Amino acid sequence: MMNLFRHELRVSRNATIIWTLSLSGLILFFMSMYPAISSDAKAFQNLLESYPQEVLVSLGISLETITSLLGFYSYVFTYIVLCTSIQAVQLGLQIISKESRDKTADFLLTKPVTRTSIITAKLMAALVLILITNGIFMVVARFTLPLFSDQSFDTSTFLLITSSSLWIAFFFLFIGMMASALLSPIKSVIALSLSMVFGFFVFSMLGAVVGEETIRYFTPFHYYDTAYILAHGTYEWDFVWIEVGLILVMGVLSYFLYRKKDIY
Amino acid sequence: MNVIELKQLTKRYGRTRGIENLSFHVEEGEIFGFIGPNGAGKSTTIRTLLSLIYPTSGSATIFGKDTVKYAPEIKKEIGYLPSEVFYYDNMKVKDLLKYSARFYKKDCHRRMVALADQLNLDLDRKIDDLSFGNKKKVGIIQGLLHEPRLIILDEPTGGLDPLMQQTFFEILRLENQKGTTILFSSHILSEVQKLCDRVAIIKEGQLVKVEKISELKANSHKKVEIETSGEINERFFELSGINHVERGEHLTRFWFSGNMNTLLEQLTQLELMNLWIEEPDLEEIFMHYYEKER
Repeated sequence: MMNLFRHELRVSRNATIIWTLSLSGLILFFMSMYPAISSDAKAFQNLLESYPQEVLVSLGISLETITSLLGFYSYVFTYIVLCTSIQAVQLGLQIISKESRDKTADFLLTKPVTRTSIITAKLMAALVLILITNGIFMVVARFTLPLFSDQSFDTSTFLLITSSSLWIAFFFLFIGMMASALLSPIKSVIALSLSMVFGFFVFSMLGAVVGEETIRYFTPFHYYDTAYILAHGTYEWDFVWIEVGLILVMGVLSYFLYRKKDIY
Repeated sequence: MNVIELKQLTKRYGRTRGIENLSFHVEEGEIFGFIGPNGAGKSTTIRTLLSLIYPTSGSATIFGKDTVKYAPEIKKEIGYLPSEVFYYDNMKVKDLLKYSARFYKKDCHRRMVALADQLNLDLDRKIDDLSFGNKKKVGIIQGLLHEPRLIILDEPTGGLDPLMQQTFFEILRLENQKGTTILFSSHILSEVQKLCDRVAIIKEGQLVKVEKISELKANSHKKVEIETSGEINERFFELSGINHVERGEHLTRFWFSGNMNTLLEQLTQLELMNLWIEEPDLEEIFMHYYEKER
């Protein structure tokens, strides 16, 4: 199992480095816009006020907080989460489908290893890669924020907001894994992973516009509402438990399906 | 002892045909051919034995153990070469083989070097850059590396040039002399005849026959085609062993099974312009030879 685990890390090493660098670049780029906004906060708010309310809501912009450092950060962070979600769902989809697509399943599955240990090793590797990506991002973001503002910010709120990318990534990792156990072989992992993430994302935007509370239960992007975290300095634990439950169910289902699956 | 035993093994896919009630066994130490046209179910059978896919009904044992229940344990002693060779991106031949060996927790370095030498394969090349034949060699080494007690080969010779094929067969014979059992699937009869002791013939997912190669040879037909300048005397066709006659103006085709010398004696009586004697391919054997079996 260690053999396979190490192999998996090696296979996805380059992609993970690229993801991590891109996310770091992205947050530097986003935050570099902050000085312009904070120096003329009033004018910026006036500009936003002229927008229709629905647009602001769907984009997750809150007029009260957008010009504060953490408020702005949590707004641009939405797009970081979008990226880490795509990475996670891709890793999840690859767990089972990649070997089939590359014709390497015949190699791996004729080795003296159980399917359970195959999927476990691959899942562990994906978890480690996601942890590394989000962990490095967190460090980079922590040191990027003070570069563009003298405002002090509450570290624990910052950590709560930033670590939500990790929790959402876990959701997408497991839903990706389950989808690949169901659908493998998958022709285009990229197409499927983009449509899954953007599907949930668009659904979240619509949900925000409609203002329907129940919709929040159906999209992981709403499980960690940054406005709530900013205001209360904690998560909404109902949603955390829902996510934990979903992950368990999807995990068990993936193992079950993969153990029974015919591999071509 | 039976190394492989199939009991009413059946695999059905939605609409497409799989295999239906296959029962046969492979004895320890033999080279067993598994032969049938493309799409007959050879790969399906092998993949079921390796529990890449699971049987719809029936069962199979390898080394006396159920193939589904004891899959990982059984696979310690199996070397498998698939018909389509796998490769991981960006890996050197050496790295892939070492990766493979680590699954068996054996030090296979010396054997790897020796086999690569025999097959004339450069271990330091990237697999992506190899030709189809060379990738096949990687597959062969990977299958033999851990000195398995059972080697399963699915159409292994595709892409190997005749010289390499010979080397490969020599390696297999050597393994066999050490006591290794070999299951060799192919759609080329001559290949199987060269190597195997017994064969199972499969067609449309069903077992047609299990036969010793020696018996198959005794029953085997030759395809004869002659070009003559004049008419052929009717009496020629009365020779026993001639069948499936197709007569044209100059070209005449028929099948012959029996004593070659008698046929040749008779042929010298004709005004021959040209003569071809060849082995019928498997499809033809199925079409003609097994017609009369029913």
